[in-house]
Amino acid sequence: MSDPRHRKAGSQAETGDSERLGLTRRTVLAGAVATAAITLGGEARADNPPTADPNSPQDMDAFLKLSAALTGIAVKMLAPDTDSLGMRQVYFDFLARSKDRAAGLAALLQVAKSVNLPIPADPTLGGIIQQGDVDNLAQAIAAKGDDAKYFARSIVLMWYFGAWYEPKVLQTLATAPDPSKVFVGHTIVSAKAYTQGWLWRVAQAHPMGYSDMQFGYWTRRPEPLADFIATRPAKT
Amino acid sequence: MADDDVDVVIVGSGFAGSLIANELAKQHKRVVILEAGGGVPTNINDYMERFYTASVKVPESPYPPSMFDEKGQLSDERNDPSKMAAGRPTSLSVGPPDWADGSKSYLVQNKADKNGKWLTPFSSTYERVAGGTSHWLGTSLRLVPGDFKMKTLYGRSVPEFVDWPISYDDLNEWYGNAEAEIGVSGNVEEQSFLGIKFPSGYAYPMPQIPESLTDRAIRDALHSLDPAQTAFLGMEHAPKEIKVRGLPAARNSEPYRGRRACAGNSNCIPICPIQAKYDPTITLNDALNHKNVKMMRHTVASDIIVGDDNRVSEIKYIRYRLDENSKVVARAPGSIKAKIYVIAAHAIETPRLLLMSTKGPHAANGVANSSGMVGKHLMDHPYYVAWGQVPMTSNPVWPYRGPLITSGVGDLCDGPFRSNRGAFRVDIGNEGWNFVIASLAKASDPNVTTIDFINGSNRSKLNPKLTSLFGPALTGTLNQNISRQFRIGFLVEQTPDPNNTVTVSSKFKDGLDLFRPEISYSLSPYARSGIVAAHKFKNLLFQKMGATDFTDVSDDDPTRWTETIDGKQVKLNYTGAGHIMGTYRMGTNEKESVVDSFQCSHDHDNLYLVGSGTFPTGGTANPTLTIAALALRTADRIVKRV
Repeated sequence: MSDPRHRKAGSQAETGDSERLGLTRRTVLAGAVATAAITLGGEARADNPPTADPNSPQDMDAFLKLSAALTGIAVKMLAPDTDSLGMRQVYFDFLARSKDRAAGLAALLQVAKSVNLPIPADPTLGGIIQQGDVDNLAQAIAAKGDDAKYFARSIVLMWYFGAWYEPKVLQTLATAPDPSKVFVGHTIVSAKAYTQGWLWRVAQAHPMGYSDMQFGYWTRRPEPLADFIATRPAKT
Repeated sequence: MADDDVDVVIVGSGFAGSLIANELAKQHKRVVILEAGGGVPTNINDYMERFYTASVKVPESPYPPSMFDEKGQLSDERNDPSKMAAGRPTSLSVGPPDWADGSKSYLVQNKADKNGKWLTPFSSTYERVAGGTSHWLGTSLRLVPGDFKMKTLYGRSVPEFVDWPISYDDLNEWYGNAEAEIGVSGNVEEQSFLGIKFPSGYAYPMPQIPESLTDRAIRDALHSLDPAQTAFLGMEHAPKEIKVRGLPAARNSEPYRGRRACAGNSNCIPICPIQAKYDPTITLNDALNHKNVKMMRHTVASDIIVGDDNRVSEIKYIRYRLDENSKVVARAPGSIKAKIYVIAAHAIETPRLLLMSTKGPHAANGVANSSGMVGKHLMDHPYYVAWGQVPMTSNPVWPYRGPLITSGVGDLCDGPFRSNRGAFRVDIGNEGWNFVIASLAKASDPNVTTIDFINGSNRSKLNPKLTSLFGPALTGTLNQNISRQFRIGFLVEQTPDPNNTVTVSSKFKDGLDLFRPEISYSLSPYARSGIVAAHKFKNLLFQKMGATDFTDVSDDDPTRWTETIDGKQVKLNYTGAGHIMGTYRMGTNEKESVVDSFQCSHDHDNLYLVGSGTFPTGGTANPTLTIAALALRTADRIVKRV
């Protein structure tokens, strides 16, 4: 019997491509509007809202560092050099696709660009951004206000579950007098996104319904956590 | 084939229907299957896509008709039971708040009986689709010999109990045949307990599935016990050790009949992505590969017609067509004749059909119902779940790895205590707090726990300080907490209670204008006492593990009640095991039962009613293997008659 995932991966890629094309078209339009504004106004005003451009390498780099810092997972794991799944683009596009999400992302990218988020040079640290730097980032985000704070949490959950949790719902859950009455729903970004959820790796496991392990693995201890979320130290 | 050429018509293509169809096919019988739902898809890609994108991954989530809109969100319109051609109960509609609201719940459930006695939800679900309830776990236990003679052994103090008309020994060979057909991995020595015996030289088709690390932690905790602490169980001797045994399962431990070995997807319910777990579409496809077997999908049997000779003469049905949104766009009546008729629509739709069929002179109370027993004695294995966390100083138990359940405790499911309380069998979950937390948190794990530590909330009860974390502190905290979560479940025996019934609603219809099944259900004191014992066993186990108990019951849970246990007020509840049994039971006495041991109607000798609806008592074993064994035995009988 053929593994259903092989075909699924193909059809997912097709969907992703068409979404990307649609998005690029919209981005071009948005870009055109922005250019017109600059032309009319002579120069961009300081209070212009920041933007998030899925085609900008600088924005993508900031998105990945932000994501890696908040999730606690190495950049090179979220976005490996040979990135056949391209989750960075799937998620960036998903965020940029809606006006509200695009604005939220842009605000966070601005913070991420303003904060130093070094990837440790020491290979034994597995490329994971250190807690002190993460804390600096978190403080800078919190200083932006509640919208940025809860949006950052939504981004972590997106990488963890391949799902979008609305920041406003997280805010309600965190602040409601009776949180047990709050329904916290989510939307799965795509089938592929579900199968690439990182939380399962954080638990040294795999997404339910998507095992990349072999018969009997469950009777043995898993490999160390670092093997799931960090880059391996270079062998000497 | 022309109508008058049909040997056997089978209503339903689940476990029993598919197995019988395939046995008849092998003997070149001409068979037509009427399937209420969709046919067998060419592959399971659509099922998997629907599961992956579903925002609520309930057992029904992969199967058609889809419960979800294009965004994977539950759709009220698609789930409207008055519009669905072949509706079904769903795990959400059998719980709060909708369980007793016939406009939301396909099953029309009564909140109180005629005398005002408070009733509680029947919490189990089923599918209406080719292959039937493929969202089963795969556990393939045999009943223990005592389960077949409950009246003989315990009837003096529990008058509701009846004996089966057959014994374990009568089924032994058929169990073996069923294990071969569905492909069971197991170990004979491990399964030889409480009187279960295998034919000499017997081996399961495949070696046993290995245990999980959660299994091991629980096995170690139960290895050495003080009899004073186990006396409450009421066994003949208070045990000093309680064995954790690997479960036999229709899950491949090596390639079997063209299907691959389990890869531990931890997703047996709702769906195995690689079909390493058997589901009835496998046998159904075998059957349909014979040219004498035909299946009519989207065909709902609506009326069984009994002729003047008191034999079934035809089955009337409604065929329907759906548009891409699962809306009924066309329907047409029809009928089919055969020599023998098999109703394999399980313990709710089968009595519904029998009780809907009241037209003929011999069917004023419904077909096959001269005893008045059709629809009575509805049973499940009320499922009591408990969840905990081992201490940070202990090794993790690493959930979300392996099949959903690999081991359990079966040695406590028969003994002298059965004169006083329901027996229980213990399941050990390999999926952490995944679904057990949902009744409280209204969402599943690991999401609930994860959101708590990111968002400074505490639905999991693991984050009382409302910490919100990012980065390495977050991954570390989540890893430490999630890897130590575990849950157990208790399948509790019910008495066959004549007041637990399936009838036909006189008010609520489905999308084909057929009246829907109506349910009245509650747990007898006998079953409740079984849950009390389960609760005590949980306390003992958690204490031996040093585990923190997070088990709780939601205030809006309609199954909850309070007991005083060891001087403390304790909230208890149950959920459904999906083991729907008892509503057209087998027996030798035609006044107290509906079918004989071959599952042939006492009233109409060319009508067979199959599936767990024929179980006179429920024991504590998952019913599927017994359904399969009985189906093969019935097929053998039918082959000899046509």
